[in-house]
Amino acid sequence: MIRKYLQKIYLALIFILLYAPIVTLVVLSFNQSKTRAKWGGFTLKWYKELFRNEQIMSAFYTTLIIAFISAAIATLIGTAAAIAIQGMKQKWKTMYMGLTNIPMMNAEIVMGVSLMLLFIAFRMTLGFGTILIAHITFNIPYVILSVAPKLKQTNRYTYEAALDLGASPLKAFFKVVFPDIVPGVLSGFMMAFTMSLDDFVITHFTKGPGVDTLSTKIYTEVRKGIKPEIYALSTIMFVTVLVLLLLVNYSPKEEEETPVRKKVRRPSRVKKLLIQRVIPVAICIVFIGGGFHYAKESGVMGGEELIVYNWGEYIDPDVLTMFEEETGIHVVYEEFETNEILYPKVSSGAIAYDVVCPSDYMIQRMIENDLLSEINFDNIPNLKNIGKQYLEQSRQFDPENKYSVPYCWGTVGILYNKTMVDEPVDSWSILWNPKYKDSILMQDSVRDAFGAALKYLGYSLNSTDLDELNEAKNLLIEQKPLVQAYVIDQVRDKMIGNEAALGVIYSGEAIYTQKENPNLEYVIPKEGSNIWIDSWVIPKNAEHKENAEKFINFLCRPDIALKNFEYITYSTPNEAARELIEDESIRNSEIAFPDLSRYDNLETFQYLGIEADQVYGDLWNKVKSS
Amino acid sequence: MKNKRMLAGPYLFWSVSFVVIPLLVIVYYAFTSDEGTFTFLNLAQITTPENLKALGMSLLLSFLSTLICLVLAYPLAMILSQKQVNQTSFIVLIFILPMWMNFLLRTLAWQTLLEKNGVVNSILGFFHLPALEIINTPYAIILGMVYNFLPFMVLPIYNVLIKIDRSVINAARDLGANPVQTFCKVIFPLSMPGVISGITMVFVPALTTFVISDLLGGGKILLIGNVIEQSFKQNSNWHVGSGLSLVLMVFIIASMALVAKYDKEEGGSAF
Repeated sequence: MIRKYLQKIYLALIFILLYAPIVTLVVLSFNQSKTRAKWGGFTLKWYKELFRNEQIMSAFYTTLIIAFISAAIATLIGTAAAIAIQGMKQKWKTMYMGLTNIPMMNAEIVMGVSLMLLFIAFRMTLGFGTILIAHITFNIPYVILSVAPKLKQTNRYTYEAALDLGASPLKAFFKVVFPDIVPGVLSGFMMAFTMSLDDFVITHFTKGPGVDTLSTKIYTEVRKGIKPEIYALSTIMFVTVLVLLLLVNYSPKEEEETPVRKKVRRPSRVKKLLIQRVIPVAICIVFIGGGFHYAKESGVMGGEELIVYNWGEYIDPDVLTMFEEETGIHVVYEEFETNEILYPKVSSGAIAYDVVCPSDYMIQRMIENDLLSEINFDNIPNLKNIGKQYLEQSRQFDPENKYSVPYCWGTVGILYNKTMVDEPVDSWSILWNPKYKDSILMQDSVRDAFGAALKYLGYSLNSTDLDELNEAKNLLIEQKPLVQAYVIDQVRDKMIGNEAALGVIYSGEAIYTQKENPNLEYVIPKEGSNIWIDSWVIPKNAEHKENAEKFINFLCRPDIALKNFEYITYSTPNEAARELIEDESIRNSEIAFPDLSRYDNLETFQYLGIEADQVYGDLWNKVKSS
Repeated sequence: MKNKRMLAGPYLFWSVSFVVIPLLVIVYYAFTSDEGTFTFLNLAQITTPENLKALGMSLLLSFLSTLICLVLAYPLAMILSQKQVNQTSFIVLIFILPMWMNFLLRTLAWQTLLEKNGVVNSILGFFHLPALEIINTPYAIILGMVYNFLPFMVLPIYNVLIKIDRSVINAARDLGANPVQTFCKVIFPLSMPGVISGITMVFVPALTTFVISDLLGGGKILLIGNVIEQSFKQNSNWHVGSGLSLVLMVFIIASMALVAKYDKEEGGSAF
């Protein structure tokens, strides 16, 4: 009896381990608050938002379409192969099974990398097609491995009997063999479908710009904070499958089949097939049909087009809709996470982006490498709304103000929790105070991390002096045991959730975090820091330059700039928009609009050249692996 | 029967094109430099202190999580194999159904659970138990690995256990073996193919992951998977990345050889 109980408890514990994260995600999908760090009350709004979010929906349908097509093709190839392998001599069988085992056993990362290298070697453009090929490749073994055992159970003499009785090989196969292996084929298909759906690593390496599956979309968002709509979508998917499975499991159970009873039972098996397989398949088809429909609607609308490449969460989605409605230009919108990711994508020219929003030093690099085209300012009358001092500041990377229009700007500083930090925070030195061990969040990017260390040491954050950099590196290594985590935008969520006392953060995030958690305070350290500007630029290979200028002009309109400021909370260089801010405490906020004349040690990042980049990269690796 | 063999044609073509040749491409990149000359330097990259540390860490963490998986999975498989559960519904429950919740999200959810003020600590705090502070440490990564790869250990063992002839076990009992002896001398040796298969199916993905360390390690712990991912995605240094992948392949091939040795006709595959 005790043993029975122990067994039950053990099963329950394992079940909790496996399902705790899933329950968490379902709960988060009903969370009013946008951050996962805080429970803001029950809401269904994310489910509504979900269907309006084009990016998530198109990633979702790309995922489903790839899963469906790859599983179908894999089922075809795999079933045929399984049948052939069954009839082979032992030696060949072993060879084929070995071949099947390679993708099963191989590390996902090695397989992803190898396929990526192959596609590039054969000059194939990474995109939908390459993801599909990769998915078929890792799906086939699942089909073979689930069909093969079923084939082993079939009686080969029935097939030969059918042939002897005059059936053609094809007819004999479909009448005799196929019905017996159907369960294997179907479960192989389902397996392949699920595997494709859940894959991240291989897609990560074989995907190109412009295509996202749910996995890759989520991976990008991990740094930005997952959008609650994603939780809603996952919950819907999970519950749908759960319901389907319940349907399947409550239908008549299959009994152990003996050869004699087989014939008798076949009719009920057909019925069972209907409930267990046809309905699920029908639902899948509805989903996939929706996908094709959706892809048609959103992708190729014809007419005017504009391809925008912007930081994640860096525009109010309504602004895009308004732009589309006002101009009739269809916006294809894509996001990047860091300047370093953006650069190779633009320079390779794989996709002709029309308008891009890099930061200062990256714009300098793009100008130096002749990647940008001059903006025709006749088309941007709203430039007059941009404050003069910001254009002046832009001269540091765009000396003649020919290539860029400022979009957002800000500083880098320390966000701290007043209830957790006792002493006044005014210096970078607090990030090296052992008192705050495991309560410090550092930026997970080379330049920002080194910037903090270099400034603390009193050097320029554009230093290329090896001794200075080594000193900074040692300082960062010394700091590492105190650091709770190296993150990018997760500083926001973690600080709101009282997870850490101190975090290095961009000023734009500070306003949002303060709203969510009033105990937080932002400060620019006295040793100085980084001041940055993100500006819109037009790449040389843009195909819709005039549309791009219309877009920039639209964003410079005071009401639009205000709308964006309220959504993303990053400081706007748009003076006219600032005048429109109703809340006086924000209009005159020291965080959002610091009086720059008070600081003489704020520096803009500069592009340091390939060699210096390499040095920074190597030193950063040393810090991370220390 | 002859034209039946033709049916394997598409598969052979596909496998050679997209499995075998890509691996050869990796080998090519691993042994050449930027200028296309032959070199061992890329492979030698594994001996830099940073990379050796990453490899060591990966081996340690994947070894531990494989061990934990085995310890957790074996009793689970035993319990389930003794019950008359419908096999498909069980596989679905522990293996397929969770996969419809994205892998990254599932792993990320552990952050919410494990954080200082997270769900687990709130529950512990309610019972006045000491807080669990493992997020952003190697322990969290181990937990993530165990969580993600446990099904790969359970299924092969389960599949072997249900195939063991009950009469063999009864015979052992009749001949006077106590339950412990029966387990050690009969059940466990018979389940070895499943155990070995499970071990490799957990060890290989754990050794090569970069996502789990990324999500649960707080960016503080670099595994060999992270190093390879960075050399392809951030530093664009494909030659070094390929060299390191090739080093990794050595461990994978060793695992495959181990399975091949144990994989008899009714060996313990997951399906």
